[in-house]
Amino acid sequence: MDLARQAQDGDESAFAEIVRRYSPRVFSVASRFFRQRTLVEEAAQEVFLKAYTQLGSFEGRGSLEGWLTRIATNTCLNMVRSAKRRPEFTVSDLSDDEQNWLEQQSAGDGGEPASVENSLVATDLADRLLSVLSPEDQQALLMIDGEQASIKEVAEATGWSESKVKVRAFRARKKVREAMDKLLSYKNKRASSTAD
Amino acid sequence: MKMKDKHIIEILDNASIAALSESELNEIRAHVLECMSCRDAYEAARLSAAVLKSRARVAIEPSPFFQTRVMAALREQQAVESVPAIWRLWRSSKALVSSMAVTTAALAVVSFMLPSQATPVAEQPSVYSAYSVIMDRDADEPMSYEQVLSTIYEDEDDAR
Repeated sequence: MDLARQAQDGDESAFAEIVRRYSPRVFSVASRFFRQRTLVEEAAQEVFLKAYTQLGSFEGRGSLEGWLTRIATNTCLNMVRSAKRRPEFTVSDLSDDEQNWLEQQSAGDGGEPASVENSLVATDLADRLLSVLSPEDQQALLMIDGEQASIKEVAEATGWSESKVKVRAFRARKKVREAMDKLLSYKNKRASSTAD
Repeated sequence: MKMKDKHIIEILDNASIAALSESELNEIRAHVLECMSCRDAYEAARLSAAVLKSRARVAIEPSPFFQTRVMAALREQQAVESVPAIWRLWRSSKALVSSMAVTTAALAVVSFMLPSQATPVAEQPSVYSAYSVIMDRDADEPMSYEQVLSTIYEDEDDAR
């Protein structure tokens, strides 16, 4: 709160300290929405510029980190909404790497991907699946199923009610599961046609 | 009714797989051995959870220059805000206003200052002048029989 108050009083070095201390948190939020470093940095910079102009509205009831997280979430949601539409989800462009990853995971126990390459394939697959969701639903699902955040934590980070978070997560989980189901059916069909 | 007898799709959509207890997972596994549609749903949910976990681990770290960059952007923003709005408006529209002023001045010079270059059009007979109408009408009028004969014989007399 001291830092926030000093920054509110126009102390530029206090605000610089806020940027230094909380930029990892803001980058972590922006990384949920974007994978390119330039976009993440652009979003993070926008967050801190907004935070500076809105410092007067920070009353110190919650933590400064929570306040910045909410600004970061809303800023990124706005950026994603105003960006061009992403390509629609299709199963037919499943790459060989993705197919192999799905084969390995189906055969195994669904544990952590063993290598960096496998992690990248899994991340690409996640982005394909997430493209069936609205940015808000993506956010809810990534936080709850990806980061194991609680409903309450998501509600605090987004400003939504807990029931809204639950509804979003339920809807998103169902859509993503159905999209994955389609991918698996396509993979099985492709594997059997290759075997023939 | 035990979970074994119920379909488990709703359970899969209600909570993250990671949030299910071991006993719940065991019951789900037992159910999917006998139910094909739930087995596919469970497989899809399990793999979805795995890719989402991988996606959540992607975190880009701030570069060492990020703080400097933000502070520079902040100062730039403050400098812009310190300039009066009317001056900012003028700066952004200066080129447009200047070009409009030059165009207006040029048009004024052309309209009022330069002497008129227009030359009177020479009077020429209209294609419908009285002369041509009379001539055309004379030409079109059929000649009488006597006029034809006299014209022929006059020509013959002239020839002799």
